[in-house]
Amino acid sequence: MNRKLFVASAAALLAGCDSVKNGLNENEAVRSTLHVAQDLNAIAIGTHGMAKLYSPADIDRDYPTNGDPTPTDPAYQALVREGFRSYRLPVGGLVEHPRTFDLKELRTLATLTQITRHDCVEGWSVIGQWTGIPLHTIVSIVQPKPQARYVVFYSFDHDDQGQQFYGSIDRLQAAHPQTMLALDLNGKAVDPDHGAPVRLRIPTQLAYKSTKWVQRIELVSDFKHIFGGNGGYWEDQGYQWYAGI
Amino acid sequence: MDATAPNAPPRAEVRPATAGPVVKRHSIAVRLLHWTGAFALLLLVMSGFAIFNAAPYLDASDYNNPARRVLEIGSEQGPNGTTIGTTTIFGLRVNTTHVLGYGDDGQGGEAARAFPGWITFPAYQDLAGARAFHFFFAWVMVIVGAIYIVVGLLNKDLSLLVVRPSDFPKMWPMQAYYLRLRKEPPPHGKYNPLQKAGYTVVIFVLAPFIVLTGLALSPGVDALAGPLTTVLGGRQFARTWHFAATIALVAFTFGHVFLVVSTGFFNNMRSMTLGTYRLGKNEGTGV
Repeated sequence: MNRKLFVASAAALLAGCDSVKNGLNENEAVRSTLHVAQDLNAIAIGTHGMAKLYSPADIDRDYPTNGDPTPTDPAYQALVREGFRSYRLPVGGLVEHPRTFDLKELRTLATLTQITRHDCVEGWSVIGQWTGIPLHTIVSIVQPKPQARYVVFYSFDHDDQGQQFYGSIDRLQAAHPQTMLALDLNGKAVDPDHGAPVRLRIPTQLAYKSTKWVQRIELVSDFKHIFGGNGGYWEDQGYQWYAGI
Repeated sequence: MDATAPNAPPRAEVRPATAGPVVKRHSIAVRLLHWTGAFALLLLVMSGFAIFNAAPYLDASDYNNPARRVLEIGSEQGPNGTTIGTTTIFGLRVNTTHVLGYGDDGQGGEAARAFPGWITFPAYQDLAGARAFHFFFAWVMVIVGAIYIVVGLLNKDLSLLVVRPSDFPKMWPMQAYYLRLRKEPPPHGKYNPLQKAGYTVVIFVLAPFIVLTGLALSPGVDALAGPLTTVLGGRQFARTWHFAATIALVAFTFGHVFLVVSTGFFNNMRSMTLGTYRLGKNEGTGV
């Protein structure tokens, strides 16, 4: 075969493959079949064990960020300007005692400091020291009703289309002793790029589960009715709800 | 599945006297597992390259440490508004425009991306989709491997395949035969000594290693089995090992396909489709 013709037909074949591959990726029946792997991962790995704790010497001072920088939301910008003095964190939904926490109160509950590795879904990782409130402390204060199965975190941030960022974890992950609402990174109040004033921090799952700029927390029995129905902004973009792997 | 032309005399009459009888070589289970595994491997490698593209570098450390970077694929501005793709391996920087760093975007154009669209799954960059396919076919592969081991133990095929000390002296004569330095292969069983060595390494070393290194870079597994990640040198190092194991497995596959083609393509393909195989000179069916 003539060399030019060979190159041209190989290119055409590969381009044809491209559309087949992309078509399979967008096919809903295919994607829902693939979903079984996530369920198997969640069963096989789950939310057990403890993330490795590092020493202060391991801390990386240059802590990268991913996704959006500081939210442009006017309400959030106003909070940044006044140093989050009027920030209030409402915790409600399927709980016996819904209530609101201010930063001063959150500070008094911030008993947990841990140096853990932050694992990004993209493949990079960074080590930082986080101080905050064990999430189970908050959960036990508001007392979930028996039907509450998930904890949903709504963020101050929105994407370009105006979709609010949010995420959810199950009660087991919420009860994990290393799951925290973080206030400090490397000994200083979390800055606006890293999720100020309160962000979730789950060292046993990939970091897209760790919602930044937490605006309110809600306990629910199911998340199918919330936005895209997949339990989080990234999950609505096709990422797995279970992010232990 | 025979290369013989329709009007040619029957194959048995034209074969040299050294050719042996036709035997049953691979069970239906092994044939199905082979092709399922081959498809799963293809999807795993392609989706793996797509996942790599999201952070196109490899570090030999626990967290990102550019001082211990072994591979980086990137792009930079070239002359006249062009973009150059670059690959830096162990500090050695190479221009890889149109192949690595800058190339096929999977949608008919070109873009700055590490692995090009024709080798990734999906073709365009979609980390979420690539992960969905990767985990699905990882499970397929693990299940295929587990069934293969059980089947191989039950029908004793595995004991014919595992390399043993008596195979070592026959390895060089076999290699010499492949290199046409020797007319005949040394007498051997169902699998020749080099096949035994290769398959033993792939099945019992490389396959478990690639599963373990993949698991070790997951935070959930790290919390369950921290020493695994530690032994591998940390999360980023586990990612580097996982990638290296992939390259080794791809290299093995190329060698495998080359030998399938060069050592009697139709006979080899017949053994992995219909299950039957004509024995060659000095070739048996036992250990």
